[in-house]
Amino acid sequence: MPSPEVTSQGSSDASAVRYERATKRYEGSAEPAVDELDLEVAAGEVCVLVGPSGCGKTTAMRLVNRTVELSAGDVKIGGSSVRERDPARLRREIGYVIQQIGLFPHRTIAENVGTVPRLLGWGRERIDARSEELLELVGLEPELAGRYPAQLSGGQQQRVGVARALAADPPVMLMDEPFGAIDPINRERLQNEFLRLQAEIRKTVLFVTHDIDEAIKMGDRIAVMRKGGQVAQYATPAELLMDPADEFVEDFVGADRALKRLALMRVADIDLWEAPLAFVGQATAEVREKLRDAEVPYPLLVDSERRPLGWLSERDLAAETVPARPDSPLGPLLDRDDVMRDALADLLQGESQYAAVTDHDGRIDGVLSVEIISEFLGSPRAKTEEHSAAERPQ
Amino acid sequence: MNAFAAALAPPLAAVGEVGEGFFKERSSDTLPCQAREGHLFCFDWAKENIGSFGTPTLQHLEIVAISVAAGFATAFALALFAHRRHWLQPPLLAATGVLYTVPSIAFFFLLLPITGLGRDSVIIALSAYTLQIIYRNTLAGLANVPDSVRDAARGMGLTERQILWRVELPLATPEIVAGLRIATVSTVAIATLAVLASGGGLGVKFYTGGNLTFLTSIVIAGAIAILMALAFDVVLLGIQRLLTPWRRAAAG
Repeated sequence: MPSPEVTSQGSSDASAVRYERATKRYEGSAEPAVDELDLEVAAGEVCVLVGPSGCGKTTAMRLVNRTVELSAGDVKIGGSSVRERDPARLRREIGYVIQQIGLFPHRTIAENVGTVPRLLGWGRERIDARSEELLELVGLEPELAGRYPAQLSGGQQQRVGVARALAADPPVMLMDEPFGAIDPINRERLQNEFLRLQAEIRKTVLFVTHDIDEAIKMGDRIAVMRKGGQVAQYATPAELLMDPADEFVEDFVGADRALKRLALMRVADIDLWEAPLAFVGQATAEVREKLRDAEVPYPLLVDSERRPLGWLSERDLAAETVPARPDSPLGPLLDRDDVMRDALADLLQGESQYAAVTDHDGRIDGVLSVEIISEFLGSPRAKTEEHSAAERPQ
Repeated sequence: MNAFAAALAPPLAAVGEVGEGFFKERSSDTLPCQAREGHLFCFDWAKENIGSFGTPTLQHLEIVAISVAAGFATAFALALFAHRRHWLQPPLLAATGVLYTVPSIAFFFLLLPITGLGRDSVIIALSAYTLQIIYRNTLAGLANVPDSVRDAARGMGLTERQILWRVELPLATPEIVAGLRIATVSTVAIATLAVLASGGGLGVKFYTGGNLTFLTSIVIAGAIAILMALAFDVVLLGIQRLLTPWRRAAAG
């Protein structure tokens, strides 16, 4: 995604959203869809409402922009009640992204993005400039501005959906399974792009999903909801995975929650092993000396800039000096910023015990081993059931 | 039956005037082709009398245009009114359906005591026939707008009125125009019966001299009616294309 600096101009501050005993009862149904919900979403945070279907998560989200009206209680945005606002005016200040995207088929992409600004009475030039800026922000080529939605792929359409929601720079965004209808590869890309975008624009986001993995990935905080519109637990992803409040949450989070924690960590978050380094032309005797008290049993060949080239074998060390071409290939090469789950996947896929980890300049930083990961997963904080998926890497 | 005869008398009298040339020629001894019974087309007669089709054609055009316009305005208004009042839709559909099934001659007679003979009765009857198809297509077009589009529109802060005029109606345009096209083409055909209520139009040329066995005039009037129907259809299709550029873009 291109540089998001463009948003810095005229960015409105995010507002906190607060549910106060918010209740929604539908006529003819005994149980309320949302039952005295108390929830506070801090300004600039992503709050994910997650739960099984029919748990009232979408209803709860819709109370904020009054596309569902409260039966009792209140929802406050930045301290003021939504009840006192004219619904249409209120909604123009709240970004809205839905799973089916809902672009206007008869309007061009630029016109779709300009929908709310036009409602707000912006001038034509300002709307055009804003549309252009937003398309760039969500990574769409400017040529698409004049096309119609049917001419775009699903992934492109939802990028437009996000751009349209951001058009008037709303302090709050509602996202109802925004990436649910996108194919897995594009979904992951859109999720990552949104996280990067959110890191810049810092909106208050209410994000609804039924997918716990998506919740863990996207949420600063997660509200796990159960049938009847009640919050079973409201916590950060890490807290949720380490300490589920009850059996319902534990079941919902899944038996593989230790593994899921890996999705929350980056390689840099864990203590790496030091690599025994070898330079081309160095005497092998020196290298052997280094190996003696190293945790990694193989020396890592690096160039003069300390960039990894490959692993040296016993056979390589039989020579007088370190050869320029190592016997074993480098295998998986990780970046400090890689997500731990992906790093583990790389190790397993490369059928490798060790992986070199580099910094942003490609210089060696340390070594990640399967042993480090299994120790981390086996530590009391991450321990789950004996038979959990966490044991697989051992 | 008296009323029936009364209804028919004036148009036939009117026909007498335009058909004068025909009567004159018939009195000559040469026995031209138009005098032979069952002869499909007589070029000589056509050449000489083509000018007499001008006025009926313009009358026909006028009847169709006014009837369809009035029918469209009424049906469109009914559809918009019933759009968010679902309980109203079945009774309105039934009402327009009943109007559609009334035979045209019966319709003219029913209107006799109110609007009398002439174009007004014709226009009222013809526009009543267009209600059903336009009403139904407009509602169907509005109902076909995806819920997600409506949801997004509402969620972004469009008012109900803005949703209707800026989103739902533009998207329903193809169905609305499709209904309008069917209504117009069938009105061009039914308007030939206007002559029965002294309403003028191409029907006048069907009953030239009361001689229904002389076919040349009927063939010409029929051909003009068909061309008129095609022309209306093409114009309406063109309008629809202009109003819905996104549909071609999506297909291309």
